[in-house]
Amino acid sequence: MTPVTIFNLDRVSLSLPVRDGVRRILEDVSFSLAEGEILTVCGASGTGKTSLLRILAGLTRPTSGLAEFRGRPIDGPQDGVALVFQDYSNALLQWRTVARNVSLGIEGRMNGQAAAELVGDALRLVGLEHNADDYPWQLSGGMQQRVQIARALALKPSVLLMDEPFAALDAMTKAALQDELLKVKQQTAESIVFITHDIEEAVYLGNRVAVLRGKPGVIARLIGVGLPFPRNQVTTRELPEFLRLRRAVHDAIGGDA
Amino acid sequence: MKARAALQGIAGILLFLALWQAAVLSGIARYEYLPAPSAIFGALVSLAQSPAAYGETAHTIAAALIGWAIALAIGLTLGTALGLSPRVRRYTLASVEILRPLPAVALVPVALLLFGFSIETELFVIVIPTIWPILVNTMGGIASVPERLREVARAFRLSPFAAAVRIFIPAAAPAVLVGCRLSMTIALVLAIVAEMIGNPEGLGYAVVREAQALQPELMFAYVFVTGILGILLNAVLVALAKALLPGEFRRPSVAWDRPR
Repeated sequence: MTPVTIFNLDRVSLSLPVRDGVRRILEDVSFSLAEGEILTVCGASGTGKTSLLRILAGLTRPTSGLAEFRGRPIDGPQDGVALVFQDYSNALLQWRTVARNVSLGIEGRMNGQAAAELVGDALRLVGLEHNADDYPWQLSGGMQQRVQIARALALKPSVLLMDEPFAALDAMTKAALQDELLKVKQQTAESIVFITHDIEEAVYLGNRVAVLRGKPGVIARLIGVGLPFPRNQVTTRELPEFLRLRRAVHDAIGGDA
Repeated sequence: MKARAALQGIAGILLFLALWQAAVLSGIARYEYLPAPSAIFGALVSLAQSPAAYGETAHTIAAALIGWAIALAIGLTLGTALGLSPRVRRYTLASVEILRPLPAVALVPVALLLFGFSIETELFVIVIPTIWPILVNTMGGIASVPERLREVARAFRLSPFAAAVRIFIPAAAPAVLVGCRLSMTIALVLAIVAEMIGNPEGLGYAVVREAQALQPELMFAYVFVTGILGILLNAVLVALAKALLPGEFRRPSVAWDRPR
C-alpha cells in the first residue's frame, strides 16, 4: 500500500514584483509529502524557504508549476492545514488569554463544550494546561511558541506547516521543544513541513531533509534520514549516521551557512 | 509615590490661588471685574445651594453625552468600514479630509439658520466635529493592524465577519479609545460654545449671562464648574475603558491611559 500523498509540487516557480522588475524567488521546485512524514526544509537566508511554506499554506500562489494538496490545486488556505509562524509575539492575539488564543480557529465552528475540550487537549499536548488563563505577554518565548503550536493543533490538522518556529529561542528551550514536537507528532500522527536554517535541527527532526540553495532557490538535494525514533538529544546526535547526514546537508547548502 | 505626587500637585494649585488672592487684595492686579478666589469660592457655595445651577449642569452634561454618543455611533461605524475596506477608503477619504478641518465654530450659524435657538442646534454643533477623532482613530487603528495578524486571519480561514470581530476591532481598541477620549473633550467644549451662542441653556449660557449681568464671582464659579466637569467625564471614561479593554492593554507597559 502506497502512503497517501498530502502535498505534491511539480516544477513550482515563484517570482515577486520588486521596484525594478521581478525577483525570482523559487525555481522548478518539485517534491511530495507523504502522510505522516516530517519534511524539514533547510537553506541559507534568501533561498525562498518561507516563500515555499507560504505556497503550501495557500498564502502565496506560485507563478508557474503545480502545487497540489490532496490531489487538488492549492487556491488558498486549506482545511486541515495549520500554520505556525516564527514570530510568536506578533502571531498571537496579545489581548486574549492562552485558552482563547488556542480556540481562535475553532470557536463558532462547533458548540462551546466541544471547543473547550479541543482547547484543553491541545494545551495538555504542549504542557500548558495550567496556563489557560494567562495572557501571552506573561509567558516566556518558549511558552508563547507552545501556545501557537497548541492553536494549530486545536484545528486537528492533517499537516502542520512550521516556519522556523524555534529560531528565536535559546538552545535549551529549542531542544526541549524539538523533543516535544516529536512526541506530539507521535500522538497525533500529522504530517509536518518544518522550515529551519539550523542544519542539526533539520537532521534531528526530519524523515527527509530538502536542501534549498541559491537565488532563486532550487532544491539542491533531498536527503532521506534513516535515524531511528524515538530520537534523543544526546545519543541521536552522537550517531555516526547523524554526523554523516549533517555533513551531507552542510555540503548541499554550499559552505558556511 | 503616587500620594506624594498628588500632594505636590495640590500644593502647586494652592500656591497659585494664594498668589492670585494676594494680587487682588493688595491691588497689584487692577481689574474691575477680577474677583479674589475667596469671593469665587463664596459664589460656588451659593451655586451649590441653587437648584437652577444643578439644572444647568445637568443640561450641559446631557447635551455633551448625547452628542458624544451619536458621534460615537456614526464614527465607530464609518471608521470600522473605512478601516476594513480599502475600497470604501478610496471613495470616502477625500470627503473626510475636506470636511474634517472645518472649524467647529463655523457650524454654529449654519445650525442656527437650520434649527433656530434650540437643542437641535446644540447637538448639531456637538456631533459633527466630535465624529472626526473617533472616525480617524478607528480607521487608522484597524488599517494599521499588523500584516502578520491579517495572515493569521487568512490561515485560520476566518470569515470576514469573524476576522473583524476577533482580530481587527480588538487589535484597534487602544487607538479607538484615544479617539473616544479626544472626542469626549471636544463634545464638552462644543456643548458650552453652542450654549453661549446657539442654545440659551446650560453652563455655557450661564457663563455669558453672569458676565453680562456683571457678576464676575458667579461667572468664574460657572467656569470652574465646567472645568471640573471636563475632569470628571474624562475620569469616568478612563475607568470604563480600564474595565472593558481587552487583556493586553491592562499590561503596565502599554501607556494608553497617559494623557496625549
